[in-house]
Amino acid sequence: MASKYITLISGDGYEFVVLREAAMISPTITGMLRNQFAEAKTGRCLFPEINGVILGKVVEYFNYYHKNRDKEDVLDMEIPVDLCLVLIEVADFFGLDEQQS
Amino acid sequence: MSARRQASARRIQGPQSALTDFLATHNISAQQIRLDAEARRRAALNDQPDAGSQQEDQTSLSIATPVVADALAPSTGPRRAVADREDKRKKEQKVIEKIKASKKFQKRKRNLDDSEDEDDLALALFQQSAAPLPGQMENCAVCAKRFTVTPYSRSAPDGGLLCNPCGKELDQENVAPKKKPKRVSGGAVGRRRQVASKILDGTYRLGAKGLMTLCIETLAKNIDLAEDLGDLPQHIIDKIARKLSKHRLLDSRTLSLFLQPTADRVYIYDGARLTSSDFIRIFQTVPTLKKLKVRNGIHFKDEVMDYLASRSIDLEELYLHGANLLSESKWKEYLARKGQSLRSLRVYWTDKHFGDEVLAVLETSCPSLERLKVSHNQQVSAQGINEIAKLKSLKHLSLDLRNQVHPDGYVSMLGKIGAELETLSLSRVLDVDNTVLDAIHNKCRVLQKLRITDSDMVTDDGFTRLFEEWPNQGLVFVDLEKCRQLDSAQPRDNPNNIGFCSNAFKALMAHSGRTLKHLNLHGCRHISRAAFEEVFGEDKIYPELQKLEISFCEEVTDFIVGSAFRSCPNLRSLNVFGCMKVKDVQVPRGKILVGVPNAVGMVIAGTHDDDE
Repeated sequence: MASKYITLISGDGYEFVVLREAAMISPTITGMLRNQFAEAKTGRCLFPEINGVILGKVVEYFNYYHKNRDKEDVLDMEIPVDLCLVLIEVADFFGLDEQQS
Repeated sequence: MSARRQASARRIQGPQSALTDFLATHNISAQQIRLDAEARRRAALNDQPDAGSQQEDQTSLSIATPVVADALAPSTGPRRAVADREDKRKKEQKVIEKIKASKKFQKRKRNLDDSEDEDDLALALFQQSAAPLPGQMENCAVCAKRFTVTPYSRSAPDGGLLCNPCGKELDQENVAPKKKPKRVSGGAVGRRRQVASKILDGTYRLGAKGLMTLCIETLAKNIDLAEDLGDLPQHIIDKIARKLSKHRLLDSRTLSLFLQPTADRVYIYDGARLTSSDFIRIFQTVPTLKKLKVRNGIHFKDEVMDYLASRSIDLEELYLHGANLLSESKWKEYLARKGQSLRSLRVYWTDKHFGDEVLAVLETSCPSLERLKVSHNQQVSAQGINEIAKLKSLKHLSLDLRNQVHPDGYVSMLGKIGAELETLSLSRVLDVDNTVLDAIHNKCRVLQKLRITDSDMVTDDGFTRLFEEWPNQGLVFVDLEKCRQLDSAQPRDNPNNIGFCSNAFKALMAHSGRTLKHLNLHGCRHISRAAFEEVFGEDKIYPELQKLEISFCEEVTDFIVGSAFRSCPNLRSLNVFGCMKVKDVQVPRGKILVGVPNAVGMVIAGTHDDDE
């Protein structure tokens, strides 16, 4: 059985170790870890076009979502205003939209 | 002088008060205090610049007679002032020495070694004790006017007290005291209310919001910082537009964020703040426009329509909401010129300017029109229905008219275009009766969405005939809100089975149960308990049903609600307002029950795991 954790690697080389279950809320990552892709075997997903700061924020969101998955009245996560537009694009890439998740 | 006073103070002068006696044992003379106070008062009077020299002359050691006082005053003034100052200084010195000798001073002195510090301390204590008490008179340190000291008198920056006007000035000069920061809304109560509102909107979900939503909300809060949205995908731009409109933030400036020259659609969800020139700007910036939606487009006026007609833009979809300044002649003109490409025309809230004459133009000018919606319209009448009947290409028809049209109008219309219709929505049609239902049964073959509301002419038998052996595919959306008997004389009885009742319900579910996604039976109050129990029986499964509205169906019980949740595995929310027999239901996890009248609240979000 694969590890409980997976590693997400940003374009500039930062590595983030995330709980597999938390990262699976993204259909994109779920897709990467399915079947016999290289990512599924190694548990390492490389995102060459995403930089470390942004990926860090996404990882923060994974954990935030996972922690609050069954709670009501969840406090909103802080989004830095300057990263807002980039994060929208990245959120779209990861499929972190409400209808899909 | 002070020595003499001292001496007189020691003299025994008859009975003394207990306090004076006590003070005397502590080497403090009551008389001395009184004399000091008098001297201070005198000195204060002397300090006053224009308090009248007569007064001074009377109280102080007068040299001249009152007659010459005025003439002498300037020469005596300085001399006396010097003498007074000398006197005052001496007195101060004496009191300071007394303070230095006091126990309190000794105690505090222990912490200090330096003799200079000692002097400072003594002076400080002196000034402390010399400050006038409330109720006394004092000269203001700034304007030198005489005033009564109160507990609220302000002290001047360099010692002394200020009179009321000067104190106020000082307050204003100082930085205004910081106001308490406003309490951020969205506290416990605010959030709870928000959750309830979301449940009623049907947008509620457990857990955190999507990252996208969070980002868009942040963006909407800071939209004034945004210069350009970059090349985000269309569906994201649409989401941002919705969010902004929700907060009424779409104006002339923010509109430009959404105008992408290569886009084929512009959806404006709230155009209340846009002007005519903004609407014209849309057509200037987006020459490839195909789909236009404007809600609350109040300023979508004749001039805008003129401009749109003059451009090479051929709209396929036009959705106008609230554009009630557009005249009927302009509508006709536009449709005649640009109707050729139009596939979808939806017009909401346009008062009187979109009427039968405009509908009459549609037949010739819009040969490919598939979707027509006329909503909240006061002008369209039976004549207009006849015109609609000529639109052979129509697939989706939705009418919400204020003029009541005789059912025959609908019957003849269905006879002509019913066979192609996928959507038939007739809202607030009080007079529609069984003849219309029969026409639907006979003509419609590809219907998916059916809405007939507020009719109290249709009967149970009529609906049963409609659904039984109807060679139409299963419906997906059914809304029969308030199709019920209304008789104030006999509110309970329904001898003629008017409205959508038990048999009709069974027939509908038998016909469309497998495909239905959305069912609204609001106020169909004559459906019996047995009918509900049969429809949501143990062996019945309605796999597609997501939204069920059975408010004001009086016979609904806890058992029926539970059965409905079991029979409809994909049900997301169930509305049971006014179902008084629903009391205590266990709602499965992830499902929402709205409208139970109990202390838990209007809304129950299910948390109960259904593994009984």
